[in-house]
Amino acid sequence: MATFLARRLVWLPVVLFFVSILTFFLGLYGPGNPINIMVGLKANPETIERIKAEYGFDQPVYQQYFNYVFKAVQGDFGYGLVKYRDQPVGRIIAERLPVTIQLNIAALVVGVIVGIPLGLLAGLTRNSWFDYSVRFLSLIAVSIPLLFLLPFLTFIFSRRHDLVLNAANLQFAIGPFLPMVGGHWDGILSTKVLLPILIESLGIVAVLTRQMRAGIIETLGQDYVRTARAKGLRERMVLLRHAMRNALIPIATILTLSIGGLVEGSFLVENWFGIPGVGQLALDAFTAREYYIIMGITLIIAVAYVVANMAADLLYPILDPRIRSSK
Amino acid sequence: MGTLLEVKDLRTEFHTQDGVVHAVNGVTFAVDEGETLGLVGESGCGKSVSVLSVMRLIPQPPGKIAGGQVLFQGRDLLTVDDEEIRSVRGNKIAMVFQDPMTSLNPVLTIDTQIGESLELHLGMTKEQARKRSVELLKMVGIPEAEGRIEDYPHQFSGGMRQRVMIAMALSCTPQLLIADEPTTALDVTILAQIIDIVKRLKRELGMAIIWITHDLGVIAGLADRINVMYAGFIIETAPVKEIFGNPLHPYTLGLLGSIPRLDETRKEKLTPIEGLPPDLVTMPTGCPFYDRCRFRTEKCLHENPPLEVSAVRHSVACWNWQDVVKARGRA
Repeated sequence: MATFLARRLVWLPVVLFFVSILTFFLGLYGPGNPINIMVGLKANPETIERIKAEYGFDQPVYQQYFNYVFKAVQGDFGYGLVKYRDQPVGRIIAERLPVTIQLNIAALVVGVIVGIPLGLLAGLTRNSWFDYSVRFLSLIAVSIPLLFLLPFLTFIFSRRHDLVLNAANLQFAIGPFLPMVGGHWDGILSTKVLLPILIESLGIVAVLTRQMRAGIIETLGQDYVRTARAKGLRERMVLLRHAMRNALIPIATILTLSIGGLVEGSFLVENWFGIPGVGQLALDAFTAREYYIIMGITLIIAVAYVVANMAADLLYPILDPRIRSSK
Repeated sequence: MGTLLEVKDLRTEFHTQDGVVHAVNGVTFAVDEGETLGLVGESGCGKSVSVLSVMRLIPQPPGKIAGGQVLFQGRDLLTVDDEEIRSVRGNKIAMVFQDPMTSLNPVLTIDTQIGESLELHLGMTKEQARKRSVELLKMVGIPEAEGRIEDYPHQFSGGMRQRVMIAMALSCTPQLLIADEPTTALDVTILAQIIDIVKRLKRELGMAIIWITHDLGVIAGLADRINVMYAGFIIETAPVKEIFGNPLHPYTLGLLGSIPRLDETRKEKLTPIEGLPPDLVTMPTGCPFYDRCRFRTEKCLHENPPLEVSAVRHSVACWNWQDVVKARGRA
C-alpha cells in the first residue's frame, strides 16, 4: 500500500510540470496582457517598458518560467497585478478557497441525500410512473443549461409572484422567497446560499440518481441475488446485503473522483450570485490576465484531481475484494 | 417411500414485448423422498423455469405462474404467503445454480454467504454458523477449510466455487436439492468430481434431488428416473434404464442418437435432430415436435398428444410411439 502511494506521488510533480508549462505559455502567448490593463492602452510606451522591466516581463519566456517555478517551490506563487495588486497569490486564493469548498461540499451532500434514495426507489419501481418521472426530471436536470436556470430560478424565488384571477376572485402566491447572496458572504449556514447550493447540486443529483437506478437494476438481475433469494432471505436483506453493496461501488467512485472538483468554483453560479469563491476569482483573473492567479488556481485544481484519483484507487480495494487480492 | 413433491399442471409464461412466451405448458411430475429425478432437454425447453417456479423464484414481471399446483409435503407452495415460502427456500428445498462464477456474491466472504442461511433457518449464532460452515466445506471436499472460510468467491476456482454452492445448499439439510445444470460451466474432470460429491452426500443425507441437465451422459449414472422435456412439455418419463434401453418418444430417440458411444463399433455419423424447437410465443396446436419428427402423421399436426402410460412406470406423449418401437427393432 505504501509503495503504491509513493509511486503515485512521484507522478504528482510530473503532472504539475506539464500543467504549469501549458498554463504559463498559454497565458503569455494569448492575446492581451496585464500591463495594458494596468496602465491603459494609451499609456506612454516608455512607462509600459518600465513596468515590464519592473515585473520581469521583459525577460525571455523560459527565464520567466524558471523564475516562477523557482519561487513557487519556495512557497511564493507571485502576486496580484491589477485588481488584487501586490497581494500574494497564496493569500488571495486561500481566502476564497473555503467558500468554494463549503459550497461544493454542501451541493455534494444534497446530491447524495436526494440522488441515492431517488435512484434506489426509481430502480425498485422500475417502469412505474414514479420511475418515469424521476428519469425525465433527471434528464432535464443534466440538460438544462445554467445560463437559463440561473435567471429563471432567481426570478421565481427572489420575489413574490401573485397570480390574480379576477373573475374567480382568487389570488395565488408562488413562493417561497429565498434571500440572495448579493455579493456578501455570510457563511455556509446562511439561508442566502440555498439557491446556489440547489443549483450546483442539480447536476450531481441527476448523475447519482441515474447511476443508482441503473446500478440497483443491474445488481438485482445478477445470479447472486437469485442465490440470496433461494436461501430464503427477506427481500430487505437481499436488497441491503446483496444488491446495495454492489450497486454502491460505482457511486463511491463518482463521489471520490468529485473530490477533485471541490476546489473548482463554478464561474457561472459564483458570478451570478456574487459569491466570493474561486470561480469568481478565476473569472476576474482571466479577464485581467492575472498570470499568477491563473497559474495558482490551475495548479491547485490539478493537485486536487491527482489526489482525488489517488483516493479512488485507494478506495477500490476496500469496496471490492476482487481488486484487493490482485494487487 | 412417500411423495415429497408433486407438481400438477404447472404453467409458467413470460409477458414480453413480442408476446406471451409459453415456457412451461402444464407440467405434471412427482418426486419421491430420496429419489433422484433427472430433468433433461435442450436449452429453452422449460427445465429451469419449471424448478424456479417450484421455488417461486421466477422474476415477476415479466414472468407469471399462470396455473397449477406445487404440493410440497402436502402444502401448495404457489398459494402460501411470502413468509412461508421463504421458510421453505434454502431450508427444505435448496438450489444449486448453473454458473458458480456469478452465483456467489463477489463482495461477501464465503463465511457470510454460507452462514446466513444457518442463522436464518436454524437460528444459529454467528459463532455456531461459522463452525458449521467449516464442517460443510470439509464435507464437500475443500482442503484447509478453516483457512479458507474468510476468503472471497474469486479466490476459489470454478469447481471449488461449485462445491461452495453445494455446501451452501446443503447447509440446512434440505429434503430436496434442486441442481440446475450445476456442471455445465465446469471442466469434464471437475464435473466427475462434483457428481461424485453429490452422490456421496445423497447417500449420507438421504435427500431427494432434481438434477437438470441437457447432457444425458451426466444423468445416466445419477438419476433414478428421467423426465424428458420439450417446448415446455414433459414428453416422456421413465426409470433411467427404460429411457436408455427403451426410448419411446422420437425426440428421446433423437437425443440418444446424438450422443457418441464408445461401446459400439463406430457408425458413420452421429445423427443430429434436424430443425429447431417451435417458437414459444406462437405455439402450434398439434404436437410441438411435429416439424422435426420422422414419425409424424396427419393427427400429430392437429392434436397434441397427452402424456399417457405406455408401460409400467413409463409414460410418453406421442401418438405413434408404437412406430418408434418398430423402427428401433429394424435398426
